[in-house]
Amino acid sequence: MSAEPQIELIGIDKYYGSFHALKDINLTIPKGQFVALVGPSGCGKSTLLRSLAGLENISGGTMKIAGALMNGVPPRKRDVAMVFQSYALYPHMTVEQNLTYSLRLKGVPKEEMRRATEEVARTIGLDNLLHRYPRELSGGQRQRVAMGRAIIRHPKAFLFDEPLSNLDAALRVHMRKEIRALHDRLGATSVYVTHDQIEAMTMADHVVVMRDGVIEQQGSPLDLYDRPATRFVAGFIGSPAMNFIPARIGPDGASTVFDRPDIRSLPIGKKLDPGREVIVGLRPEHIAVGAADGAGMTLKVAVVESTGSLTYLTTEEPLQLTIVMTGRTELAPGDAVQVSVPSAHVHIFDAETERAL
Amino acid sequence: MTRTYTPWFLLAVALGLAAIYLFPVYWMYVTSVKSGSEIFSNPPTFWPADPNIGVFGDVWARRAMPTYLWNSVVIAGGVTAITVVLGTGCAYVLARYRNVWIDIGLFCVLMLQVLPASVMVTPLFVGFNQIGLLNYPRTAVVLAAAAKAMPFFVVLVRATFMSVPRELEESALVDGNSRVGAFFSIVLPLARNGILVCAILTFMSAFGEYIYSKSIIQSPVLQPASVGLSGFLGPNSTDWNSIMAYSAIYVTPILAIFVILQRRIVAGLTSGALK
Ligand SMILES: Nc1ncnc2c1ncn2[C@@H]1O[C@H](COP(=O)(O)OP(=O)(O)OP(=O)(O)O)[C@@H](O)[C@H]1O
Ligand SMILES: [Mg+2]
Repeated sequence: MSAEPQIELIGIDKYYGSFHALKDINLTIPKGQFVALVGPSGCGKSTLLRSLAGLENISGGTMKIAGALMNGVPPRKRDVAMVFQSYALYPHMTVEQNLTYSLRLKGVPKEEMRRATEEVARTIGLDNLLHRYPRELSGGQRQRVAMGRAIIRHPKAFLFDEPLSNLDAALRVHMRKEIRALHDRLGATSVYVTHDQIEAMTMADHVVVMRDGVIEQQGSPLDLYDRPATRFVAGFIGSPAMNFIPARIGPDGASTVFDRPDIRSLPIGKKLDPGREVIVGLRPEHIAVGAADGAGMTLKVAVVESTGSLTYLTTEEPLQLTIVMTGRTELAPGDAVQVSVPSAHVHIFDAETERAL
Repeated sequence: MTRTYTPWFLLAVALGLAAIYLFPVYWMYVTSVKSGSEIFSNPPTFWPADPNIGVFGDVWARRAMPTYLWNSVVIAGGVTAITVVLGTGCAYVLARYRNVWIDIGLFCVLMLQVLPASVMVTPLFVGFNQIGLLNYPRTAVVLAAAAKAMPFFVVLVRATFMSVPRELEESALVDGNSRVGAFFSIVLPLARNGILVCAILTFMSAFGEYIYSKSIIQSPVLQPASVGLSGFLGPNSTDWNSIMAYSAIYVTPILAIFVILQRRIVAGLTSGALK
């Protein structure tokens, strides 16, 4: 896996009329990397992907694929493959014709085309479906055809726009692994749009979190999990979502005090200006339950939900927190629990800018 | 009770309405083979007592029907060709682009539909005269009738194009096709049935075109069958069975084409190009 950039986006801007859909997007994707674009609905993920494919014209900035400038280049000259959410299989063509559509356009010889089709069909397990029409396939099979249509081309980059969102949960988990394995086998460069942060975390080498047309933060999945740059990223990455509590830095500068006197202050493991308004972020899985060195606070359990392997607690009075415990618990609603958080796992965000401190 | 009978009731109503519309067709065929006195007999006979099939051959030769029908075919063919070629392109653009100018364009196209041919024929006549198009009267009629047929075609075919998902086209673009190539290899095949239906309807209505032909085409050898038929209908015409025979010869091919192609279209639609 070399480090030469396969896709370079420098200061990309995109306007729809007066609506600023992409704002100064900077992103470099090395060859062979799997990049996930995540973010809430309407944040511009699809717009960015479609700009990469050439289906949208960017309004400003520089876009390069494999070193070549792509501004204004039509889709057919970009040599990228795209898998659409709806799969966009050609309904009047058989699976085989769908797979070979791009090869036929390129004028690939019959014999070579047949070999490529067989190979791809074997790779994605469609051997005996080649003569069916898309309407005669199940959702999962259609998804495979869409994948096959992309990989048969050996493109410079794969672009995926929420390719798994129409599948049921079990198949989604399965295809997740399969797509990633395929990516590794082909040594491909992939950009994968999803609004499912679990998909992004599990599949990608590099995750880009977007919000309102801006890249909020990018980095490796664990980087984003351990060091979220903003409250938004902190809340978006990780499941169940991080707990946020408004607070103020105590007089010593090394702990937080809460507005309510009945919540004990929390050591934060760093020095900040005393009196500063902040937001404290605690991941549910980092909150320890039980008398931990007496430094915790006492809360009342409101709800206990068990999945068998994990138990979710929701507390009340004086602080509502979601807590994840491994294993099972004897706790019942109404019980008092001692909770504590190691200072290394306390995230502090500025109350005003919501940036991590 | 009501639930089971309502559909049957509605079916009966529909059949009744169809019968009201189809009865004249039946009456036309029956009258054409009746004798002169039987036509006016009271009460009327619903089945001719003594069918006279010879009337068809007689009218065919006497009224120069081959020439008239050929002119009808030429005019309808021309109208259909122009409408399909230009209208398909127009409908596609109107389906795929959304802005103020497109809305204005669509409005203008619909406006054409509002203007009746009888109002348009005089200005058209004057205009065609100015540019010397009246020397080619059939061409002039084709142009005028195509303009008249266009809105209906464009609006219906536009709806067909809008039912073809945009992503299919985009996928073809990314797969390496040009816009034009994507249109011909993806969009057009998927919209084929809709276009075919509209083309047939256009052809059939142009086959019966009357107003433009009547006013623009003076020479009988260039007139279509609709105008030829009206030549029959004088104030004191009594030759009813000949007129009916003429009409029967005129509409039978259209009815036959419709019945044959309709089955094809229905078959095409139910096999499901989309989905
Ligand atoms: N053709 C268009 N014209 C005007 N605005 C558009 C157009 N396409 C997208 N937008 C706007 O751009 C923003 C980003 O849209 P985009 O489709 O990229 O969102 P997304 O991140 O893919 O969301 P989702 O997860 O729902 O697919 C949205 O606010 C949308 O309304
Ligand atoms: Mg999207």
